[in-house]
Amino acid sequence: MSYIDVLKNAPQVMTPGSSACQGCGGELVTRKIMQIAGTNTVFAIPPGCMAGAGVDGWSHSNGCTAPIHITLLDNTASFMSGVSEIYQRTGRTDVNMVAIAGDGATADCGFQSLSGAAERGTRMLYVCYDNEGYMNTGFQRSSTTSLGSRTSTTPAGKAINGKQQNAKYVPLIMAMHNIEYCATASPSNMPDLVAKVQKGLAASKMGFAYIHVFSPCPTGWAYKPDQGIAVARRAVQSNMFPLWECENGKFTLNFKNNSPITMAEFVRGIGKFKALTEVELAALQKCADDRYALIERLAY
Amino acid sequence: MSKIEALTGNKCAAKGAALCRPDLIAAYPITPQSTVVEGLADMVYGGQLTANMVQVESEHSAMSVVQGGAAAGGRVFTATSAQGLALMYEPYFRMSTLRLPMVMAIATREMTSPESIWSGQQDAMSVRDAGWIQMFCETNQEILDMIIQGYMITEDKRVQIPVNVCYDGFYSSHLVERVEVPEQTDVDAFLPSFSGCAKLDPKMPQALDPLTPGELMLRYRRDHLEAMTAALDVIDEVDEKFAASFGRSYGGTIEEYRMDDAEVVIVTVGGMSGTGKDAVDIARDRGIRAGLLKLRFTRPFPAKRVARALAGKKAFSVIDRSVCFGWETGPMYVETCAALADADDRFCHFSTVGGLGGADISLAHMTSVIDELERLKTEPGRKSTNWLMAD
Repeated sequence: MSYIDVLKNAPQVMTPGSSACQGCGGELVTRKIMQIAGTNTVFAIPPGCMAGAGVDGWSHSNGCTAPIHITLLDNTASFMSGVSEIYQRTGRTDVNMVAIAGDGATADCGFQSLSGAAERGTRMLYVCYDNEGYMNTGFQRSSTTSLGSRTSTTPAGKAINGKQQNAKYVPLIMAMHNIEYCATASPSNMPDLVAKVQKGLAASKMGFAYIHVFSPCPTGWAYKPDQGIAVARRAVQSNMFPLWECENGKFTLNFKNNSPITMAEFVRGIGKFKALTEVELAALQKCADDRYALIERLAY
Repeated sequence: MSKIEALTGNKCAAKGAALCRPDLIAAYPITPQSTVVEGLADMVYGGQLTANMVQVESEHSAMSVVQGGAAAGGRVFTATSAQGLALMYEPYFRMSTLRLPMVMAIATREMTSPESIWSGQQDAMSVRDAGWIQMFCETNQEILDMIIQGYMITEDKRVQIPVNVCYDGFYSSHLVERVEVPEQTDVDAFLPSFSGCAKLDPKMPQALDPLTPGELMLRYRRDHLEAMTAALDVIDEVDEKFAASFGRSYGGTIEEYRMDDAEVVIVTVGGMSGTGKDAVDIARDRGIRAGLLKLRFTRPFPAKRVARALAGKKAFSVIDRSVCFGWETGPMYVETCAALADADDRFCHFSTVGGLGGADISLAHMTSVIDELERLKTEPGRKSTNWLMAD
C-alpha cells in the first residue's frame, strides 16, 4: 500500500483541534505516527509540546481515541517497560507500545531510562520528535540544540552568542544499544517516515525500536509557519539531518546526497540562526559534513 | 502447615513477595536492600517463581517500571533503601497519587550526609508525606507476614494506596531469626489473586492522568486522605484475618506491651522495640511501672489509638531513629504530641533521638530513657530532647 493510502485509510487517533502552534512539526509527526499505530496501542507522551497541545487530554476530555498516559518527563521508556511486560505476560502482544517524546524527555533527563529500556530490549517503539529544545516551556536549550542557536537560555548576547556546543547526536547513540530497529526520519520525506514507523512497529514486537524525527518549530526557531516542510527538507538536503536506518546492526543510508546544499542555505530564514557568525557557520558545516561522512561509512 | 527456617530480614521480604505471586518485579541493588532482589532473581531464574523481572538501571526506573506494570493491571513489587528511595521520589509520589496498589520493601538506612550506608529510619521518615501507607517491622517474621498483609491492605477497594513495609537496615535486613514460612496454598487461600483493572487498555481507551485543574485536584486529594483514614480500620481487620489464617497477630496499627498499669511509656518504631521490651521487663523487676507502645504504622498515623493507649499515663518518650529538622526532635515524637492536644498538661514527655547512621540503641539506652521518665513523671510538660550519644 502506498504511504498516501496508508494515511488516507487510517482513522485519526489524535483529536482534531489540538492547541499546537500553527505549522508545528511535532504535531504533524505525532498525528501521523498515531494514525499508523492505530487504536490498538498504548501511548505514552511525557510533558512537552504534544502534552501541552492536549494530546494526553485535559480535565474531562481525551486528547486521542487510544489509551494514553502523560508519563513523567524522565520516565517514559521505563514506565512503558512495565506496561509492555504485563502485556507480554498476558499474551496480548498484538497491542502496540508507543512512546512519543520530545528531545528534552529523550536526550536530557529522560536519557537514562531510555538507554536502560533500549539495553534491555523492551518491546516498544520510542519516537523522539526533536525540535531542538524545550519549546513548550519557552524555547530553552537542550542537548540536541544546534550550535549557534538562539534560545531563551542561550540568548544571542554581546558576550556569548547563542549555544556554544554542537548537538548530541542521539540516534547513533541509540543504534549502539544493539536495538532491533533504529532510524531517522523527517516530515519532508513522508514515504520514508511512514515506512519507518511501520518497520518500527513491527520491530517493537521483537525488541526495542527507536525513530528520531526532525521536527522544526516555527515559534521557537522563528520562521514563517508555512515554511516547516521546506526547513525540514533543507535539513535533509544539507546533510544536517541525514536519513538512515539500522536493522539488526546493518546501516542503510536512505537518501544518498551527492550534491548537498550548504548550511548557509539551510539556516536562511530561520530566526534562531540570525546572529550566526562565520566561524559558527563553518562549525555547523563541518558538523553536517562529518556526520554524513560517518553515516556513509557505517552504511558502506 | 508452615516450614521453620532461619532467615534474614531481606530473605523474608523476598519470600513474602514471592508467596504473593507478583506479576512484575523491578530490581536494582542498593545496600542494605540488595539481597531482597537477589533472592527474587534466584527464584525467577531458578524457575520457582514465574514473575516477569526487569533489571533496571536505577531506582527511578524501578518505580517507573512497576508503575507501568500496575497501570497495566499487574501485581508488582520492588525494594529499596535511602539514596535509592530519594532518587525514586518523583515516580514514588506519583504511584500513591495515581492510587496504584503495590508493596515496596524498604530496608531503612541513614540519609547522606555525612556519608553513611548504615541503619537509620531517616529515608522512610523523610517521605512520609508522599501519600504511601508506611509500616515498620520489629522481627523478621513480621517482615514476611506484613508483605502478605500489605498486598491485602493495598488492594482493598477502600484503600488502593501503595504500602511500604519498612524494617531496619542491617539490624533486621541482615540478621537471622527463626521464621515460620507459610505454605503457598495457605497464602493463596488468604490473598485472592489480583484482579487489578488495567488503567491503560485499548479495550477501554482513556487518558490516564490528563492535565488536571485545581478543583478536581482538591477532590483527588480529599479522596486520598479519606482512603488513608479508612485504611486505619482495614489494617486492623486484615491483621485479624491474618491471625485467623496463620495464628499470628500484630495488633494492627499499634502494639501495646505491658501497658495496662503502666505509668511511664516508651514509644518505639521498628526493630528497637525488641530491646525496648527487654528494658521494660527489667524496669518492672525494679518496681518501675513501665510499658511500651510500638508504632507499627506511621502512615496513616493511628492518632486515636495512640491517644487511647497513653490516656492516664504519667510520662512518655518517643524514641526516633531519625530527626525532624526544624523541631529539634524526632519525627514520631512530633506526631505523637500532635495526637495529644493537651500533652503538656497531662504528661511529662520528651523526644529521644538515637541509632542514627548505624549507631546501636542498646538496652542501657532504653533503660536510661525509662529511668529518666520515672524521675520526671510527676513534672508535666515537655522536656528537652534526649540524645542517645553513647553508653
